[in-house]
Amino acid sequence: MSGFRLNLREGLGRAVDHDSKINFTFDGKNYSGRVGDTLASALMANGVSIVARSFKYHRPRGIFSAGSEEPNALVTVHSGARTEPNIRATELELYEGLEAKSQNRWPSVNFDVMAVNQLPGKAFSAGFYYKTFMGPSRPGHKATQFWWFCEQLIRRAAGLGKGASQADPDKYGRMNAFCDVLVVGAGAAGISAAERAASAGAKVILCDESAVAGGALLSSSELLDGALAHDWVADRLAELAENENVTVLTRTTVQSMFDDNTYLAIERLADHVKTPGKHQVRQRAWNIRCKSAVIATGAIERPIVFAGNDRPGVMLADSARRYVVEYGVSPGRAVCVFTNNDTGWLAARDMAKYGVIVEAIVDVRKDVPDAIRAAGEESRAEIFLGAAITATSGLQTLSGAQISEFSETTGEVGRKLKKIGCDCIAVSGGWSPAFHLTSQQGEKPVWDAELQAFLPGEATSSWHVAGAMAGKFGLRHAFRSGEEAAVKALAEAGLGEGESDVPRIEGDEIDYAPAPVFEINTGGKAFVDLQHDVTAEDVRLAHREGLVSVEHLKRYTTLGMATDQGKTSNMSGLAIMAEARGKPIPDVGTTRFRPPYTPTALGAIAGDAYGHLASERLTPMHDWHVAEGANMYANGPWLRPESYNRSGESVEQAYIREAATVRKGVGLVDVSTLGKIDVQGPDAAEFLNRIYSNGFAKLPVGKARYGLMLREDGMLFDDGTTWRLDENRYLMTTTTAGAGQVMEHLEYHRDVVWPDLKVALASVSDEWAGVAVAGPKSRNVLKACVNDCDVSNEGLPFMGVRQATIAGIPVWIARLSFSGEMAYEVYCGAGWGQALWDALMKAGKRFQIVPYGLEALSTLRIEKGHVAGPELNGRTTPLDLGLGGMVSSKKNFVGATLLKRDAFHEESRLQLVAIKSIDGQRIRGGSHLVKGNKDQPGQTEGNTTSTCFSPELNCYISLALLEGGNARHGEKMFATNPVRNMHVAVEVVSPHMVDPDGGRMHG
Amino acid sequence: MVDVPERVSPLDAVVEPGVFGANTRSLEVFLSENLCGSLVQVQAWPDTVGAVEKAVQSVTKLGVPKAPATAHSETVSIMQTGPGRWLVDSEVEGLEDKLRGKVSAKNGAVTGLTHARVLIQIKGPKAAWVLASGIAIDFDLTAFPVGTSQISHHHEIGVTIHRTGEENFDLYVFTSFARGFWHWITTASSEVGYAVS
Repeated sequence: MSGFRLNLREGLGRAVDHDSKINFTFDGKNYSGRVGDTLASALMANGVSIVARSFKYHRPRGIFSAGSEEPNALVTVHSGARTEPNIRATELELYEGLEAKSQNRWPSVNFDVMAVNQLPGKAFSAGFYYKTFMGPSRPGHKATQFWWFCEQLIRRAAGLGKGASQADPDKYGRMNAFCDVLVVGAGAAGISAAERAASAGAKVILCDESAVAGGALLSSSELLDGALAHDWVADRLAELAENENVTVLTRTTVQSMFDDNTYLAIERLADHVKTPGKHQVRQRAWNIRCKSAVIATGAIERPIVFAGNDRPGVMLADSARRYVVEYGVSPGRAVCVFTNNDTGWLAARDMAKYGVIVEAIVDVRKDVPDAIRAAGEESRAEIFLGAAITATSGLQTLSGAQISEFSETTGEVGRKLKKIGCDCIAVSGGWSPAFHLTSQQGEKPVWDAELQAFLPGEATSSWHVAGAMAGKFGLRHAFRSGEEAAVKALAEAGLGEGESDVPRIEGDEIDYAPAPVFEINTGGKAFVDLQHDVTAEDVRLAHREGLVSVEHLKRYTTLGMATDQGKTSNMSGLAIMAEARGKPIPDVGTTRFRPPYTPTALGAIAGDAYGHLASERLTPMHDWHVAEGANMYANGPWLRPESYNRSGESVEQAYIREAATVRKGVGLVDVSTLGKIDVQGPDAAEFLNRIYSNGFAKLPVGKARYGLMLREDGMLFDDGTTWRLDENRYLMTTTTAGAGQVMEHLEYHRDVVWPDLKVALASVSDEWAGVAVAGPKSRNVLKACVNDCDVSNEGLPFMGVRQATIAGIPVWIARLSFSGEMAYEVYCGAGWGQALWDALMKAGKRFQIVPYGLEALSTLRIEKGHVAGPELNGRTTPLDLGLGGMVSSKKNFVGATLLKRDAFHEESRLQLVAIKSIDGQRIRGGSHLVKGNKDQPGQTEGNTTSTCFSPELNCYISLALLEGGNARHGEKMFATNPVRNMHVAVEVVSPHMVDPDGGRMHG
Repeated sequence: MVDVPERVSPLDAVVEPGVFGANTRSLEVFLSENLCGSLVQVQAWPDTVGAVEKAVQSVTKLGVPKAPATAHSETVSIMQTGPGRWLVDSEVEGLEDKLRGKVSAKNGAVTGLTHARVLIQIKGPKAAWVLASGIAIDFDLTAFPVGTSQISHHHEIGVTIHRTGEENFDLYVFTSFARGFWHWITTASSEVGYAVS
């Protein structure tokens, strides 16, 4: 192919600015193009023939199409963090400074060392990997060592470009859009549908994947209402865009159709500039919810498979025509058209009209209509009927084509007719409707024998097809079908029919039905799937080896995979398989297309959800923690202080210091993250009594109680304290992580199980800031700052709840202890959280109060044997955790029945114990409890759940679940952790390691 | 007697008055942040809805609306957020106690949420566009008329939206998520440019 820019003039090169100049580079070499060019048209205009190397054989490849179906011309654009591979040059709009590189080649696209892969040829046929590398596996491994050796080399040799390893610096946006009618595709059918829908007052969204909407109209030679088609399109689109009910989105590909009339479209906002502006979004993902949709996605021209059909210079006929008409670029110095249908002839005529030399038109049909023959004659090309191209020649690029006799009925090739010198073969094998979106929804396509193509099947939801996508080829059919589809869509949207406005059309009327010829089988290397180097012989090999299902064919040969999803190859592959099986094509079937329609940047899908994937929840004291140097730790969505490390301290040193201070003096910790649920109503007490396993019916006002919540199957679900604030009002606290699930659990039981109970539930987690003050001096701190409340042991006894004020702040104080020390939880409105914290710190200063983090909080409760998330793991019952005393036998509650199962009462169950390190070694989380030594550890009998260094006991300790653990206190075992190569001698002890009688917290 | 301290908004540390983003010469989005004087949820039992409506009316002097409509005066807004459930926003403090005095447990429940929400206001020609970029509801005036409210979310952040004008929205956002929501809404607004007051 030796493309070149034609002399631009009126009507030629409609898409480009004739007087402009844009500089760009391809593989480091400087070129120039025009505003409106794609990279493909600009490369073609500069005579660049080889733009890529093929996936497997590294064969040179040229530009094959002019749209999103492109299998060959994939390039990498940008550099550094913005590097993006596999961009189709046929869609990439040229901009000043564009840097594009070819892929899958070394050292250059014109001389690729890996082209040596072509030499073993057939050895690399379909199933190569399975046949060559599968073998007996070693224990624990699935592949042979030979495969491991080869894998690296193969991965290096094959591939479709390399992505960036740095974070994407660009911004991506989203939009949620709602409309009456979504129209996909702004060609003749789509514009017609959008206009009709808009005329009925519908809210319309019209999407088109190209920078300039119009589809085939942009290069059409027809006159619409007396105007050139591309002028007519521009006027109509401008009118639509002015309608406030219509949103026209260009550069927007509708990638996916989902259930309930939901579509995903990707709008490319800044891919046509070098870098997005500072605040500009590069791409926007549109979630479109419509009442009905018109799918008018057109059709994709398909090639005919013949020997040597992958040489640079062989391309689709209509694409060749579009390069001429739209971009003013000739695809070659001498073009040969090879077709099985009328559209190839029109391509020849239109190209010749603008000065392209068409050497020959080769049609497999023996006869063609007079009008078509006349069009061919206009091109001054030599005409060959009942003939086919049977071979091509050329060193790296195309230089000639062999034309031979061919029978369209028998498929037999006859005598050679002529060898023609040409650097471009424009081939047309008919048209395949682009029914990808409907296929994604699982709608089976139906075969149209006349068009030799699959058409979308019957719509089972609110979408309607129009134009070439529906098999309605030609402008007259397209406009009419667009309006018809719009009327159906309007009815579904509950709107009137609108007004018809089909333009008067002057121009060609041709038959789009092709001869049923998909391959010219002469035994040479003929490619079906150019992107994955799948040949016609590969398809036949799959058949011979029994892989005859289209699903097997796809996976065995990789036909239809990769970035183009077989847009130009699937139909030919199916036809060749059908012939091999001796069956009609529809009996062979099709594969289902998957979303997205074209490759999509992950950033567009992820949107602004990057970094910490969920939004962070912050407590009112967050900034204070950060300012004090706390390590902030993600605990579910919350950020909590892990520890407040002093200079030079490790996390372990910090939490040991903090926990020790609480045991001897006083500390305070931010517990605002606890789930908090407001429970109110005349039946609130009864409700809580049924939810918790222990009794709540008689909890006095002004008291709190620790409660256990079970699932219906008897397993522990969550725990926490609930405070009775007045006769009909409770404040329930839950674990930080369990708050949401507990709320759902409560709402389900209130609404579904006991709808007769009058109970109101409201999440008040964000209403209250919470601070726990713990340690033997905690009461002193409160005494120093609390007003309006007696905090003595008599005034505020253990589990007592009181209202008070601290520094003018209204607070609730509950005497609760998670640490095992005397402790209080103080709650106030979140807006005063920091003021409360400051007041407590100020009051505690003379008692050397310290803030403590999650690690110290955990250490204190482990020492005390209080359970938390690691023990409430969904597989433990209250009995397992030594909480059997909190299971009432006098009432019914959620989980009561199934908790009585015998298996839950077996003594061999995993039961809560603690272990102490005997030799001073650290015990790691996830360790297993075994009896044997390191070499022969024996079977696991349990596992550690929560571990820490205990400053109180001066050794590493852990809570653990051990088979029959209740009866094994004093036993010596090992905590083994093979992953970390640790085998620690431990002693099993009671989980209540500190203050087992509770004197400290009750004192 | 020590005075009650000022309430602190989680956004105080991040809200910076000024003009930001693109097209700052022709701003189309205006953001501001407020603390509610009082924000109270009132819940009636299935058989006491009428009684609670009367109680709310006697305190707020406003008729209780049916969703999605809202009722509002200069100082009070009432939004229905579920069957027999309303969210009452007042510039005046102490509304929770007044309502609790009128709504007995026999008729319903009163829950204070004054500290639990931050009120973010967004207005301007592109306000609905910014909101639609992150909240999956239809902001068209026909689907979301002025004087109505809806409950939705931006990802996992719940938000109650009150449309107070064609281009004006009050957003009630969970306090602990407020900074995350502010980060999103300013990021989304930066594409068109915005002012913070």
